[in-house]
Amino acid sequence: MSPGRHALVAVLAWAVLSAIGVFLVLGMQIMPQIASHEAEIENNAFVLLTAVSVPVLMFVVVGIVYSALYFRAGPDTADGPPTQASSRLQAAWLIVTTLMVIGLFVYGTFGLIEIRGAQESTFEVEVHAKQWSWEFDYDDAGFAANELHIPVDQRVHLIINSNDAIHSLWLPALGIKQDAVPGRPTEAYVTATQLGTYNVLCAELCGFGHTIMTSSVVVSTQAELDAWMQQQQEAASP
Amino acid sequence: MMRSAPVQAVWRPGFTRAIVGGALGFAIGGGAMAVLGVLGVGVKPGHILGVGYLGTLFGFLLGIGAFRFWLTWMIGREIDADEEHESHGKAGDWKRYFRFTTDHKVIGVQYLVTAFLLFFTAGMAAMFMRFELAQPGVATDKDLYNIIMSTHGAMMITVALISVIGGLGNYLVPIMVGTRDMAFPKANALSYWLLPIPLLFVAINPLLGGFDSGWTAYPPLSQQANLGQQAYLMAFVTIGASSILSAVNFLVTVFRMRAPGMSLMRMPIFVWALTVTATLVLIATSVVAGAMTMLLFDRLIGTSFFRVKGGGDVILFQHLFWFYSHPAVYIMAVPGLGAILEIVPVFARKPLFAYPLAVFSFIAIGVLSFMVWAHHMFVSGMATFFHIPIMFTTELISVPTGLVFFSAIGTLWMGRIRFKVPMLWVYGFLWAFVIGGITGVFLADVPTDITLSDSYFVVAHFHYTIIGSTIYGLFAGTYFWFPKITGRMYSERLGRLHFWWFTIAFNLTFLPMFWLGIQGMRRRVADYPADLGGVNLFVSIMAVNIALSVAVFAFNMIRSWRGKRVAMADNPWDAQTLEWICTSPPPIENFAHIPTVTSAPYEYGTPPMSAPPVPAGGRPQP
Repeated sequence: MSPGRHALVAVLAWAVLSAIGVFLVLGMQIMPQIASHEAEIENNAFVLLTAVSVPVLMFVVVGIVYSALYFRAGPDTADGPPTQASSRLQAAWLIVTTLMVIGLFVYGTFGLIEIRGAQESTFEVEVHAKQWSWEFDYDDAGFAANELHIPVDQRVHLIINSNDAIHSLWLPALGIKQDAVPGRPTEAYVTATQLGTYNVLCAELCGFGHTIMTSSVVVSTQAELDAWMQQQQEAASP
Repeated sequence: MMRSAPVQAVWRPGFTRAIVGGALGFAIGGGAMAVLGVLGVGVKPGHILGVGYLGTLFGFLLGIGAFRFWLTWMIGREIDADEEHESHGKAGDWKRYFRFTTDHKVIGVQYLVTAFLLFFTAGMAAMFMRFELAQPGVATDKDLYNIIMSTHGAMMITVALISVIGGLGNYLVPIMVGTRDMAFPKANALSYWLLPIPLLFVAINPLLGGFDSGWTAYPPLSQQANLGQQAYLMAFVTIGASSILSAVNFLVTVFRMRAPGMSLMRMPIFVWALTVTATLVLIATSVVAGAMTMLLFDRLIGTSFFRVKGGGDVILFQHLFWFYSHPAVYIMAVPGLGAILEIVPVFARKPLFAYPLAVFSFIAIGVLSFMVWAHHMFVSGMATFFHIPIMFTTELISVPTGLVFFSAIGTLWMGRIRFKVPMLWVYGFLWAFVIGGITGVFLADVPTDITLSDSYFVVAHFHYTIIGSTIYGLFAGTYFWFPKITGRMYSERLGRLHFWWFTIAFNLTFLPMFWLGIQGMRRRVADYPADLGGVNLFVSIMAVNIALSVAVFAFNMIRSWRGKRVAMADNPWDAQTLEWICTSPPPIENFAHIPTVTSAPYEYGTPPMSAPPVPAGGRPQP
């Protein structure tokens, strides 16, 4: 086959495989649980990045498979043709890859602003991480709990701190991860959208008990939350 | 005066004297601190360990004879010419590998064998981890798990840092640029002999209580941890000193000692890769050594660099740490990429595609690698606006990295590919490293990183990038240069078995980890949700297969090396770089006459310049 024919077949194979891959990826739910606005943004970003990855992966796959199939040396010891990259091909490659990167960067920046940007909230909880457990302070109500309870469909402000090691508050279903850093409080905002009980994990290695530093987060309606807070308050002030 | 053999062994510079010196050094250093402790000046066990460690290190180095030439010069005496000549080692004498030998080829083999031994040890640690993780729940002990996990990380990082550049690089760079040795042979030997003591202390850290902070050693955890932590920090600083010494040596050799005609753009791409790497090592390592030293001071002499109660800042450590340790990712990867691109043209029988662009890609990776460190800190609580430029630079680094694929696949295209074992590893690299690369974009993007950081997705990602580049490059290079280094040929069949077994097991071990991370499995834990048990069991079984395949490699290498020398061409691959015009193995000082370089390193498919002119009608086309 002529070099042109090889290139044509390979490009076709790449286009077909990429199209199939992108079709399969789009609309997929990649994160196992999506219980908040933030998790939804992250899942969308996940899907988009996966879709963009498919043609990149397929470029390499086609390069590997096609060259292994068609460009094997014969029994003679002849060398290949000393072809070199034309400057047009080099420029095209650089421009395409740079544009892809810029596209991803712009998209990622919008996601970042949406997750970390809006700094207002209607509900606030102070999170204390310590070796090796979680404590959730409801300062306004005057009690602390070892489970996080938050209302659904409200922007919740989490103020996170630690007095010993660095921990990290991870709410996988809510798409939130934020380190708890000794000496400087950090914060996160979350808008839960699905009622339910989800995991709370420590994501930053914090010593021997890191594995067992878990809890749960309960997303409930305002009424249920009020009832729970009432109950906690009574238990706290006998 | 004649001395009996054992007395002479202790007296003469060498391995025996080094061990005696190390033990004495520990006794003197640690003992002095212990005496101070008895006198009541508030000596803690850490102080005894610290000064004892310094004593061990210097005792060992004095014992091996690392300073004997410099000390002689320093007191104004001429050094013994015979002794200096002898320090090159005698060809074929195995004892030279256990001495302060200045021949760069001996040092290369010392590095390579050390790196593989460390690789096997750290691999055993990984087997322990996968045993614990095979089932949910804690089967052994969660504290022990953290210690073994930290040790595995520390050791594997060292393997990735020293194997290709220290091993293959030391052996090959002087030959590839056409000179007789490195610029500073004694400093080169010193940079190797700085390693055994820190590696020993990393290996025995569990006996000192271990450390549970991982290789990243974030404070405050690393300030609270046991003495094992201190052993690791001291080892890290020492290994850093060794790297800097070695980097200077590489740079001077490459820039001052190339053979006539070897212009920079005629250098083999592997040499270019190591030049960029050495530059990164030189610039970045002192930053992390500084950070680790500040941490040691916090632990030992009461400073407060990272101690919140004394006004310190724990995030400062992360910035300093990653300012080195992200370039370090490229310090690990770029030599592997260089080895891969070195091998592609030889087996594709074509010139390296877009060679200048490949050179540019390494330089661009090197420059950009200093501007991306904070992507390790997207959930650390640093200023929101700072995420944006870091996200950009991190994603931008995929452009030069992509050029490596452009160059490799462009070389394969229309080639006449010979599928020998080194070439199989090149193919394995292309697959593994592209997975590592594209999953890196998910971690560079802040929205996806929020959910993925510190999960098994990260574990899978960095194993794909580092195994994909460094370890695949190391295996490819080891097979490729094995006949040059040993003068023998390995078993092709066992090499193929190793490749396929390793590659299948490696992919089946780490691909599922991406899924585990997305499902919410955290890294650095001994236990995980019960419903992830099945996949983890599968991963553990596959991890054992990686170890078994590496055993095949070790068997092949040892058997082939010890086997009878068979008649073999000095250039079994018909390669064109300078190391292949030497005998296998090359003689001491490599070249009887320094060659003059007249062409680029990969002129495959082009008739040599000295060949008669092409007859009318052109070259016969294959």
